[in-house]
Order: sequence, then C-alpha cells, then structure tokens
Amino acid sequence: MTEDQPAGTEGGSDRRDVVVPLRVYKAVTVFSTLFAVLSVVAGFILVDVATQRASAPASEIDVPVGIAGIACILAGTVVYAFSTRFRTEEMGKSKDDAT
Amino acid sequence: MSLERKDEHDHKGWMESRELTPIESVYLTVLVWLDRRLRVVDYLEILEDLYYKVNMQMPKSHTEQYNLDNKFWYWYPLYALGSFSTVAYIVAAISGALLGFYYAPAAAAADGSPTVAYDSVMLIMGQLNLGYFLRSVHRWAAQIMVAAVFLHMLRVYFTGSYKEPRELNWLIGIVLISLTLVFGYTGYLLPWSQLSFWAGQIGVEMSLSIPLIGEWVAQLMFGGFTLSQATLQRMYILHVFFLPFITTAIIAVHIGIVWMQGIAEPH
Ligand code: HEM
Repeated sequence: MTEDQPAGTEGGSDRRDVVVPLRVYKAVTVFSTLFAVLSVVAGFILVDVATQRASAPASEIDVPVGIAGIACILAGTVVYAFSTRFRTEEMGKSKDDAT
Repeated sequence: MSLERKDEHDHKGWMESRELTPIESVYLTVLVWLDRRLRVVDYLEILEDLYYKVNMQMPKSHTEQYNLDNKFWYWYPLYALGSFSTVAYIVAAISGALLGFYYAPAAAAADGSPTVAYDSVMLIMGQLNLGYFLRSVHRWAAQIMVAAVFLHMLRVYFTGSYKEPRELNWLIGIVLISLTLVFGYTGYLLPWSQLSFWAGQIGVEMSLSIPLIGEWVAQLMFGGFTLSQATLQRMYILHVFFLPFITTAIIAVHIGIVWMQGIAEPH
C-alpha cells in the first residue's frame, strides 16, 4: 500500500492503521488472538519435542522439527502484530477521527 | 422468510471501498470466512451481554458510587491471594494425605545407618511410581501457601481492610499465618535428614532460650533436650493430626467472617 494514498487509513506516523467496522474488528481480534496463541503453544511443543525437552545433546536435536517450531512461534507473533493495525471508528487516535 | 441471519455488513462491498494491501485483504477475507463458519464472536458477545445484564441487577457498590475504580482497580487481582492460599492448602492436604500412605515416622536405627523415616522418604523419591512428583507437589504447595498467605496479609494491610469492623479477622489471620509457619517447620523435620535434624536442634535451643519456661517448652514440643524418637513423633502428630484440624477449622471461620461481613471496600 502506498503511503501517499491513505484512504480509510491513517497516515502521519509510519504506523499503518486500517479502520474497519466494529463487527470485523471483533472477528480480527478474536481469531487472530486465537491463532497466535495456538501457534505459539504448538511451536513450543515442537521445539520441546525436537530437543527432548532441552535435554538432547546437540547432535541429537531434530533440526527440521525445531525449525518448524520456531517458525510456528514466529508465525503466531507476526499474525498478532499484523492484527494490531486494524481498528474501528473512534478507537485510539480520536483526534484524527474528528476531521 | 429465511432463517439465515442477516449480516450487518456487506463485507465484499466495504472491502472494495477501502484501499487495502493484498496481504490485508487476504487476511481479512480469511478471518471473515472463519467468522462466518465458527461464530466464536457471537458466543463471546452473548457472554458480554450476560455480564452486563447480571451486573445491572446489583445495587451500586460504594466503589462504583464514588467512582473509585479508576484509582483502585489494579489492587483487585491481589484480592485473589486469600483464595490462592486456600487452594494451596487444599493441594498440600491432598498430596500430604497420599504421602501418608508411604511415610513412617520412625527414628529407629540410631547406629548411624539411615533411619526408617529417611528411608521411607527415599523410597517415595526413588522407587514409588509418581513418588518424586507427589513429594514435589507437596513441597511446592507448602512453599506457595506461605508466600500467598504473607502476600495476602500485605494486601489486607495496604488496602486498609483490617480496620473496623474487621479487627477480629486480622487477629484470626495472625493465628493462621503462625499455624502455616508451624506446619512448615514440623513438616521440614519429618524426613529426618541432616537438614531436618539440625533444624530440630535449633528449635530445641530456641525453646531453651525462653526465660523461665524454656525447659518446659522444650520438653513439651520436642520431648526432651536432645532430639529423639519422641521429637519426630511429636512433629509427625502435630503435622498430620493437630494442625490440619485446627487450621482447617480456623480457615473456615476466617472465610465465614468475610462472607458475613462482605469484602472491605476502598475508601
Ligand atoms: C491460611 C491463611 C489464610 C487464608 C486461607 C485466608 C483466606 C482469606 C480469604 C479467602 C479472604 C477473602 C478475601 C481475599 O481473598 O482477599 C480473606 C480475607 C481477609 N483476611 Fe485472610 N487468609 C489467611 C491468612 C490471613 C492473614 C495472615 C491475615 C492478616 C494477619 C488475614 C486477614 C484477613 C482479613 C482482615 C480479611 C478481610 C479482608 C477484606 O474484607 O477485604 N488473613 N482471607
């Protein structure tokens, strides 16, 4: 998205904001939190399995599973961070809404 | 008439009216797709509605009337510490009762070889299925209970909840924290390990240092001036018989009084 065309979005800072209807905002919050929690937990379980609960010697670490675990944790984090750009009318920067 | 619920929003419509990056529109499309099928949000909205409706049935509390919550809300999680102490106590009671099936309070074998009590603890740790776990649960519950009770006391102090008409419950609380500590001390002696033994020795000497009644106290609590079978047996009966009955009863009274008087409100 180009920063010079902030239709339905907030320019100003480099932080992108997308204003959505309340119902969509709720769906975003609920489902992205759910997804983030599940994938972070799943990621830790995978890392645990790969390293035999951090007790495996370096040579016996299951590298693909370990990387999959870290990827899961990162994916959860990214989704959660991404979800924070959505907001509804009158939320957050109230000054900017009152144009 | 269709039974299908009408969506308040024409998702396709407004999404096209916004300038979204490709990632954003895919993201929103996926979430809206999930939302249409799983309806988690609807159930959460029902709960939210329920919460407000139940709350509207209640009279306004002092806190709400004078709008104190905006300054006070961050204390509220600490109001869970009393219940947290109770939970820790119950966990310790259950795990302790199970440990009781395997522990024997005998200080026999004074010839330098390990005692029956110590051996039974070693059996729990080494041989018994889930024994290590069981003893760990019991020790952690005990540690956590002491910490939670102490923090609960700080909570009561710093919110001023000990003030009239709750002085009695403060005094009962002092009895409860003392009982909690005695629970810890008597339990610490039960494995009859080196740590236990010398902690017991310290206890005897502290008792003896009390003016006038010191010797009498040492006799009563420890069954003599040197540690023996009598000491271990007294600690055992205190730990698994006396203290549980007394503490359970006093906790019940303590919580009963809170129930009767209501929780103290901030001023
Ligand atoms: C075995 C230890 C204890 C248990 C299980 C226990 C449990 C509880 C519970 C469940 C409450 C209800 C409110 C809350 O949870 O904060 C409470 C309130 C109270 N406790 Fe304890 N307590 C213990 C020790 C103490 C101690 C050591 C003191 C202070 C010396 C104390 C003084 C009070 C007072 C004054 C209240 C009334 C507070 C209010 O109305 O806001 N308690 N206790």
